[in-house]
Amino acid sequence: MKREPSLNGIVSFALLTLVFSAGFTVLAVRLRVEQVDKAAQHRSEMETQSFRRVQTAGLRGGIFDRWGTPLAVNRLSLCITVDPGAYRGGRKQGETVESRIMAALEGMAAIVGRPPAAGVEAVRRHLRVELARPLVAWRDVTEEELARFSENARDYPGFDCNADAERSYPQGTLAAHVIGRVGRDRLPPVSGGERMNFVEKELRGREGLEMQYDDYLRGMAGEERVFVDARGFATSRETVIEPRHGFDLRLTLDAGLQRVAERELAGLRGACAAIDPRDGAVRILASAPAFDPNECVPVLRSEVYRRLADDPAQPMLCRATAGTYAPGSTFKPITALAGLAAGHSAAEVYECTGAYELGGMKIRCARTWGHGGMDMAHALRESCNPYFCALGMSAGSNAVIRTARAFGLGQRTGIDFPTDAAGVVPDAAWKAEHFADPKWRPGDLAQMSMGQGQLLATPLQMARVAAALGSGWLVVPHLNEALPAERRPLAVPASHLREVRRGMRMVVDGGTGHRAGDGVDAYVIGKTGTAQVGYGANRRKNTWFIAYATPTAESRSDEPIALAMVIEDGESGGGTTAPKVAEILKAMYNRKEPAT
Amino acid sequence: MRNFLKNFNWLSFAATVALIAAGAAALASAGAARGSAVMAAKWQDMLWSSAFGLALYFTLALTDYRKLLDWLSAPAYAGAIVFLVAVLLFGTVQFGGRRWLWFFQPSEISKLCVIMFTAQMFGCSHEWFKGQTGFRGFLAACVLAGVPCALILMEPDLGTALTLVPAVTVMLLAAGVWRKGLVALLAAACIGATTLLGAVHEAEKPGVPAERREALLKYVPLRDHQISRVKTFLFPETDKMAAGYNLRQSKMTIGAGGLMGRGYGRGESIRRQLLPPMGIMNDFIFCAWAEEMGFLKGSLLLLALYAVLCISTAWTAVVAEDGRGRLVALGMATLLFAHTYVNIGMTIGLVPITGLPLPFLSLGRTFLVTVLCGLGIVQSVSLHREEIK
Repeated sequence: MKREPSLNGIVSFALLTLVFSAGFTVLAVRLRVEQVDKAAQHRSEMETQSFRRVQTAGLRGGIFDRWGTPLAVNRLSLCITVDPGAYRGGRKQGETVESRIMAALEGMAAIVGRPPAAGVEAVRRHLRVELARPLVAWRDVTEEELARFSENARDYPGFDCNADAERSYPQGTLAAHVIGRVGRDRLPPVSGGERMNFVEKELRGREGLEMQYDDYLRGMAGEERVFVDARGFATSRETVIEPRHGFDLRLTLDAGLQRVAERELAGLRGACAAIDPRDGAVRILASAPAFDPNECVPVLRSEVYRRLADDPAQPMLCRATAGTYAPGSTFKPITALAGLAAGHSAAEVYECTGAYELGGMKIRCARTWGHGGMDMAHALRESCNPYFCALGMSAGSNAVIRTARAFGLGQRTGIDFPTDAAGVVPDAAWKAEHFADPKWRPGDLAQMSMGQGQLLATPLQMARVAAALGSGWLVVPHLNEALPAERRPLAVPASHLREVRRGMRMVVDGGTGHRAGDGVDAYVIGKTGTAQVGYGANRRKNTWFIAYATPTAESRSDEPIALAMVIEDGESGGGTTAPKVAEILKAMYNRKEPAT
Repeated sequence: MRNFLKNFNWLSFAATVALIAAGAAALASAGAARGSAVMAAKWQDMLWSSAFGLALYFTLALTDYRKLLDWLSAPAYAGAIVFLVAVLLFGTVQFGGRRWLWFFQPSEISKLCVIMFTAQMFGCSHEWFKGQTGFRGFLAACVLAGVPCALILMEPDLGTALTLVPAVTVMLLAAGVWRKGLVALLAAACIGATTLLGAVHEAEKPGVPAERREALLKYVPLRDHQISRVKTFLFPETDKMAAGYNLRQSKMTIGAGGLMGRGYGRGESIRRQLLPPMGIMNDFIFCAWAEEMGFLKGSLLLLALYAVLCISTAWTAVVAEDGRGRLVALGMATLLFAHTYVNIGMTIGLVPITGLPLPFLSLGRTFLVTVLCGLGIVQSVSLHREEIK
C-alpha cells in the first residue's frame, strides 16, 4: 500500500534543514576566517607562545704552557637536575608544583646523601623565572653520589644528571697572575640579535690572560629551543645552533721554570720575569705572594675577595708586570751606555773615595772607604755608586734619559697582557708635573744615574733591559705563542754594549753577583741592584738581579734567557736575589738536577 | 531484504561510518601526541565501542521502532531518572562534576531516553494522552524533559542539559504541541537571552564601577563561573590568561592549521600542550583535528559529514510512516546538530565555552554508543515503513 509523505514531515525537514544549513554555514565561515584569513597570525602566535629561546654557552678553551702543560682547563662538574615539567600534573589537593618538587628534592637528598643546593627560595625563583629549564639541584656530584642517584632515580620523576663545565686550574697557584680568573656573566644575546628568553651564564675572563684572550677562549654561543606547554613547562628541546668551543691558548710560558721561580719567591714578596731575548717569548712571569684561581670558581665569593683584597701583601697584584720598583743598581749599565755615548771611554779610571759629593750632599758608596781607582767594568763589578753618579752627571740628563727610554723604560712593554705598567723615567717636565719642587736639579740626575730617585720599572721591563743588553735588540714580550716576534735594534753601538757586557760578566764572575753564576752551566752576565726605598724607620731595600744567560756546550737548554727578579725587603741584590736567580738558571741549563 | 536495501538510509549510515573513521583517526593522532601508552591506545578503545554501538545500531534498526518505543520508552526513561539520581548519590567526581557512574555517564544516555519518551508521548497519540496538544501537553513535556534536565544540571553539566532543550523543542513544534505558545515562548527566550547578554555586557564592559556591576549582576541568574564564561564570550580579548584562555588557545590551534593543515600526526598543540591535556581528546578534539588537517580537508570535510548526517537523519522524518518515527528522527537530528554546533562553535568563540562532546570524535564511550543507538532507532524508522507513492 502506497501512502502520501506527511506534510508535517516535509515542513519539519525543510525548516530543520534550513536551520542546520545556516548553522553549518556560520561555522564554515567562521572557521574560514580563523584558518585562512588569520592563519599566519595564529601560527606566529603559536610559535612565540610555544617555545623559549635559550642561548647556550660554548666550552671555553684551555690555556697551556709551551710544553703543553695544562694551566687552565674545563673540569666536568656533574650536576643532578630536576625538570619542573615532571611535576606539573596529577597534583593532589593542596599540593603545588613547588611543594611537590621540594618533597621530591627531600626524598632525593636522602638518596644522594646531602641536602640539595637549591632551597625553597631557589626553587620558587626558578619556577617563576626559569620554569622551562631544569633546576640544578646538586652541583659537583661525586661518583659515589651519582651511583646512589642512578640506582634510585626512577623513584622520582624528572631527575637527570648533566655534565656542566667548570673552570679548573690544575697547577693551583702556578702562574695565577698570568692566567687570571674568570667570572660568570649573563651575556647579551649574540646570535641573530633577537631576544633570547634565557641566556646561560657564560664564563668571562676577569683578569690576566683569561681576560686578555677572552674572545679567543670563549667560543660562540649556541641556541637551543625549548618547547613549552601552555603553562610554560618544557615539553621537549632541540638545538638550533650548536655552541662552538673556544680555542685553546698555547703560551710561551715554561711551567717548569715558572714553578722554580715561584718556589724561590715562596714566602716572600717579589716578582720574576724572564723572556727569550731573541723574540720576547715570556718564559717566567712570577709574582709572590699568589692566589689560587680555583678559589674564584665557580664565582669569586665575597669573603674570598675580601681576604685577598685586604691582604697587605696584595696577592692579587701581578708584580711582574704591574709592580713598579726603583731598579737601583740594575740601571747602572744604562748609565754606563749613556756615558759611553757621551764620549767617555770605558777605560777611564775614576777614583772612588766612598762617596760622591754634590753641592753639600753626599751619595755614599757601598764600600765606606771607597773602591779607589777603577774603570767601567770594575765599577759595574763592584756597583760603585760614585762612579756612576759622576758618569751620569758628566753625560747629562738628556743622555741618561734617552738611553733609558731606548731600553723601553718609562713605556709599556706592549705585552699581550692586561696589566703592563709603564714605570717612570723622570725628566724635567715629569718632575714639574708631579712634584712641588718643579726644578730639575743635579741631584735628580745623580739619583737616576744609580737607578734611584723617581725612576721606576717593572720586573718585566728590567728583563727586557737585560735582554737588550745581552742581545742588542729591544723585544716586545709576548705570552701567546702564536704571536710573531717583534723587536728592533737598540740605538747603541755594539762596541759600547761589549764594554758593558764585560762589566756585567765580571759582576757574575767574582763580583757582587757572583752567586748568580755559581754552578750554572751557562754563560751568565748580570747586575745586582739594591734599591733603597722609604726613609727612616720605613727604610727598606728592594733587591734586584737582572741576568742574561746564553747556553754553553754543557747546557741542557740551547736557548738564551734574560731575567729580572726583584724581592721586596731583601738584604742585597747579590746576597738575596742572585742565589735565587742561580736556581732558576740551573733548572734551565744544568743537566743534572742539583741535589736538594 | 529488498526492502532493507531500498529503505535503509545509506547516506546517514555512510556519514556515520565516515565520522567513526575520522574520530578514530583524530583520536589516534591526538593520543599519540599525548605521549602516553594509555592515551595512544584510546582510538582502539573507541573503535571497539563503535563496533559495539554499530551492533546495537543494527539490532535496533531491524527491530520495529513502534514495538521498541511501546515497550522500552517508558522503562528507559524511568531507568534514566534512576541512574541520574544514582549518579548524584554515588557517582565519581571528575573535573568539578559528578558525572560518572561505574563506567558510563547517565546524562548522555538520558538524552536518548528523553527523546524516545517524548516521541512516544506526543507521536503515537496514546490513548491516555490523546489530543494533549495544548498548553497541558506543553507542561507535561516540560516536566518530562525538565526532571532529567534538572538532575543533569545538578551534576552540574550545563552543556548536556542545554542540548536537550532544542531537541525537545523541535519535537514539540513538529508534534504541534501548543505551537503558538511555544513560538511565542521561543521569541521571549530569544529576547531574554539577548537581555541577559546585554546585562552581562553592560556590567562587565571595561570601566564599569563595581557597585553598578554588582547591581546589574544581581538580576542575572547565572553562577560566577558561568558569568565569567559569558563575559569571556562577549569580550574574548580582555581575558587572555584566565577564562578566555581556552578560547584563545583553541582559536590559535585551529587557525594555525591554515588552509591545508600541518599534516596528519604533525599537530603541535598537543605535543606542546597548548590546550588542556584532558580537554584535547574530549571537548577540544576538533582543534587538534583542524590543526592537523586544515580548513579544506579537516574543517570543511567534517562539517560536510555532520551536515549530511544531520540532514539525512532529518530526512527520515519525511519518509517516516507515523508521528513517533518522525519525532525520533527530528529529535536525533537536532541533538546531533546541537552537539556539533555548540562544540565547534565554542572553539571559535561563537558559543560560550561549555563542556560538550563532539559526536564521534570526542573521547567518551557512553555518548558514542548513545548516538549510535539513536541513529539505529532512526534507521529503524526508515526501514519499517510502507512504500511512499
